[in-house]
Amino acid sequence: METDDVPLDDKAKRMRDLLSSFYAPDPSSTDNAPSNPGTLDAINTTSFDADQYMNLLIQKSNLEALLQRHVEMAAEIKNIDTDLQMLVYENYNKFISATDAIKRMKTNIVGMEANMEQLLDKIMSVQSKSDGVNTSLFEKRERVEKLHRTRNLLRKVQFIYDLPARLEKCIEAEAYVDAVKFYTGAMPIFKAYGDSSFQDCKQASEEAIAVIVKNLQGKLFSDSESIQARAEAAVLLKQLDFPVDSLQVKLLEKLEQSLGDLQLKTNDIENASMKSNDPKQGKVSDSVHISAHEGSVRGFAEAISAYRVIFPESEEQLIKLVQDVVVKHFETTEQYVKGRISSANLLCVLRTIWTDVLLLDEVLSEAVLPVFSLEAAQIALKQHVASTFNYLLQDISDALVRVNASSKEAAEEHPLQVALEASKKAVLQGSMDVLLDFRQLLDDDLHLLVQLRDFIIDWVQEGFQDFFRALYDRFLLLSGRNSSSRQDQGLTGAHGEKVLAGLVLVLAQLSVFIEQTVIPRITEEIAASFSGGGARGYENGPAFVPGVICRIFRSAGERLLHHYINMRTQKVSTLLRKRFTTPNWVKHKEPREVHMFVDLFLQELKESASEVKQILPQGLARKHRRSDSNGSTASSRSNQLRDDKMTRSNTQRARSQLLETHLAKLFKQKVEIFTKVEYTQESVVTTTVKLCLKSLQEFVRLQTFNRSGFQQIQLDIQFLRTPLKETVEDEAAVDFLLDEVIVAASERCLDPIPLEPPILDRLIQAKLAKWKEQNPISP
Amino acid sequence: MQGGSSGIGYGLKYQARCISDVKADTDHTSFITGTLSLREENEVHLIRLSSGGTELICEGLFSHPNEIWDLASCPFDQRIFSTVFSTGESYGAAIWQIPELYGQLNSPQLERIASLDAHVGKINCVLWWPSGRHDKLISIDDENLFLWALDCSKKAAQVQSKQSSGMLHYLSGGAWDPHDINAVATTCESSVQFWDLRTMKKTNAIEHAHIHNANYDMKTNHILVTAEDESGIHIWDTRKPKSPIQELPGHTHWTWAVTCNPEYDGLILSAGTDSTVNLWMAPTSVEDEAITESIAESPAQQADPLLNSYSDYEDSVYGLAWSSREPWIFASLSYDGRVVVESIKPFLSRK
Repeated sequence: METDDVPLDDKAKRMRDLLSSFYAPDPSSTDNAPSNPGTLDAINTTSFDADQYMNLLIQKSNLEALLQRHVEMAAEIKNIDTDLQMLVYENYNKFISATDAIKRMKTNIVGMEANMEQLLDKIMSVQSKSDGVNTSLFEKRERVEKLHRTRNLLRKVQFIYDLPARLEKCIEAEAYVDAVKFYTGAMPIFKAYGDSSFQDCKQASEEAIAVIVKNLQGKLFSDSESIQARAEAAVLLKQLDFPVDSLQVKLLEKLEQSLGDLQLKTNDIENASMKSNDPKQGKVSDSVHISAHEGSVRGFAEAISAYRVIFPESEEQLIKLVQDVVVKHFETTEQYVKGRISSANLLCVLRTIWTDVLLLDEVLSEAVLPVFSLEAAQIALKQHVASTFNYLLQDISDALVRVNASSKEAAEEHPLQVALEASKKAVLQGSMDVLLDFRQLLDDDLHLLVQLRDFIIDWVQEGFQDFFRALYDRFLLLSGRNSSSRQDQGLTGAHGEKVLAGLVLVLAQLSVFIEQTVIPRITEEIAASFSGGGARGYENGPAFVPGVICRIFRSAGERLLHHYINMRTQKVSTLLRKRFTTPNWVKHKEPREVHMFVDLFLQELKESASEVKQILPQGLARKHRRSDSNGSTASSRSNQLRDDKMTRSNTQRARSQLLETHLAKLFKQKVEIFTKVEYTQESVVTTTVKLCLKSLQEFVRLQTFNRSGFQQIQLDIQFLRTPLKETVEDEAAVDFLLDEVIVAASERCLDPIPLEPPILDRLIQAKLAKWKEQNPISP
Repeated sequence: MQGGSSGIGYGLKYQARCISDVKADTDHTSFITGTLSLREENEVHLIRLSSGGTELICEGLFSHPNEIWDLASCPFDQRIFSTVFSTGESYGAAIWQIPELYGQLNSPQLERIASLDAHVGKINCVLWWPSGRHDKLISIDDENLFLWALDCSKKAAQVQSKQSSGMLHYLSGGAWDPHDINAVATTCESSVQFWDLRTMKKTNAIEHAHIHNANYDMKTNHILVTAEDESGIHIWDTRKPKSPIQELPGHTHWTWAVTCNPEYDGLILSAGTDSTVNLWMAPTSVEDEAITESIAESPAQQADPLLNSYSDYEDSVYGLAWSSREPWIFASLSYDGRVVVESIKPFLSRK
């Protein structure tokens, strides 16, 4: 079936092609088939070459194919023959029908000529009649037209004359629109003839218009009128060629004035929120104020929108104005932030501003107020964070400086302890409060703040980092340690020498407290609610690095503790220096009593001990006597030596005993005099005593003594033994150092003969008795 | 930071305070030191480091009439040195010459070239100009500053000029600026004073308390290093006396002596009464402020100025001297009379 179909289709197609080629005007147009004569398909083209085709066929095909081709071609030729016949037949049919149609047309057209001529006659007669009518009516029509024109002119004159009255009426009816329309209509006439014919009329109507202008102005400026009315008034004024620009300026001024009102109200809110101690009441009054404020802002916004309607081209000025409002808002906020305020208050202010901004934005979205205010808010918030930390710092240093004041009054029993507790509280509570405060900022869903969230987090973290750095600097400044910063800030006179040793100790302990307690707490808190951020870029890492701060404060604590000890020893050092440089030791007189520098020395120690006791924790049990350190053996030996010393009396023996001391020292292990200071009462006191005794030794080494001078030293040192041992943790080292002093004195003595023990004993007893007399309470 | 036992030891018979580098000896690394004994016969030891650098050899042993409180070697003649001595009651200062044929004598006597006998009070030190041949000497006692003209050939010293330090300024020592032959710094209880030797007038002062010792940086002009009781070591620019350029923690107890390395910039050695010698690296050139600040900040604390602490001493260390011939070697002297010579080479490589 298919094989039958395909040639059938081909056949139909060829038929169509042939037909179209037959009718086509240009035979070449059918010639778009492939015209390559080298193929077998070229049989249908015009350039068909039979010989070539035959050659090709014979070359390409075998006999069988040729035979088949022959059969095919025969069939095709037959087909084409029948097609041709059919074509001829069809053409003939069409030709016959065409001749029929022509024959019919020929019969129909006969008799048309007569009708046409009749028609022409009739038209000619109509035209001549119409001409007659026209000529007869021409005169009348001209007169009618003239009359009509006169009437119009008269009407206009009438209108002009009526204009003042009409305008009056309009004024009465407040139909200013009509009035203006009339007036502007009459304007050209007034312009042309105003100086001559219609002078009165013109004057009258101008007066009326002046009234109208005045009324319109009033309307424009009156706030009670609706915006549309005012806008209309403005438009009308403009139509009357009134100088609108000055009006615009005036109106702007008015808006600016209302701006001032707005500003004042912001302050009110702040005041209200500041005054409101009772939260509930405060909220109520706040909300009242806020609503009042909001009302005025809304009014302002309306005015703006009205203005915009009235003066559409004044957008720029308005934008500037509105931005001014926001700028002023934020200026006051910044001013406000400089003071000590809580975030809640700031939040309140910000919220107010934001509502204002939203209100204004509705009216004037071109001013891009939200973006604008976002930037401003960013600055304000940053300032807020900074100032909050500043105040915290101030609080803490206030708490610390109070030590100075309170100790001067000396009313309290433990001023240092109080100060330490107060400053601890100030640091911990203060920073917790600050965090809590900032959290309010974060938790709030105010759009403004939500956008700034990341920034706030970063600022808070950075704030803490900077805060602790600043605190560290402040500590150093307070301790008077950092001489360079002291000079920087020109506080040399103020602080200078007045720094109390106790304060330094408080600072040391506070540093430890910060390192061990405050920083972990803050880190925790920040991790809990201030994580994220990252607006400052991740490559910088998080802004708050507790490790660094901890390290800073650990080293600060150690430095301050050392500084404290230094301050204490320095005092003793001056004492000792005076003691040793003043007298002429080579001409010293025989010792009569224990020298008074011992008293001063012990007093200094006592003072220091009382300070230390207030601040530092007690060390591990007192029985801990460094049994682990190598000092204990030395101690027993030197004790023994001392006992020996007591028993011996004659001078030769004393000499040999000194030699013995030398020898003993050679074999004795080196006593660890300078051990690491710990944050305990004992450790600090011990270190102080050790350093003082070492200084004593060094001073002794710089002098040369006669016998009496040496004996004086021996006596003083002997007396010192007992009270020092009571206060000190490391007896061994102290014993060792005291011995060292005596040894040093003997070495520097021209004639080293020690005091006889009985005399020594007697003098010491005498001193003890005197001492007890002076300090009856002390044990 | 244990000092270890890298040092080479040498024992004096008695206690001692002062040691000096024999700068004029260009063939050997030698030091000269003297004992401080009130009641015994005092000695001056000339010590030489053996060529292998493993041993300290006593090159000369001379008796000295009194205990020696200060000793300085002449920078241009290895046989000349100065001492300040005390009998216990009075002080004296003298210039000595080591006898030429001392190797052959049993107990060679020092030859006294001149005695600086214009002093009344306690003499503190005698200074030679550290940078070369200069026929002037400075001696400092409690209240006065003397400038001497020394004539070695004539064996005489003349007071050229004298200046009192002023009321309530008890001088304790001094340093002669190696860069300026006319500038001397003196230390006293409350300040460091600078003098112009031409006019003998005070030119400047650093107000700072309890300075024990001062030393000029040999390499960099205007840099002065001071050692104090409690507050450690300060490095000053003498043009800016208001505040120090840098502050080093110093020692646990007093920092007694401080000295700058003659060759390596910023290397400072300090000796303290806590029986240690500390080696510091304190670049004094640029960005000092930045460095001190970064100490607090830099996480690794790379800028720790303390390079090493030599703690292998039995007693306070008072004497300290760099060798100018081998600037990586220094000698220290503790009160018990023990000289220890150490090399800082392991720390130089670290730079």
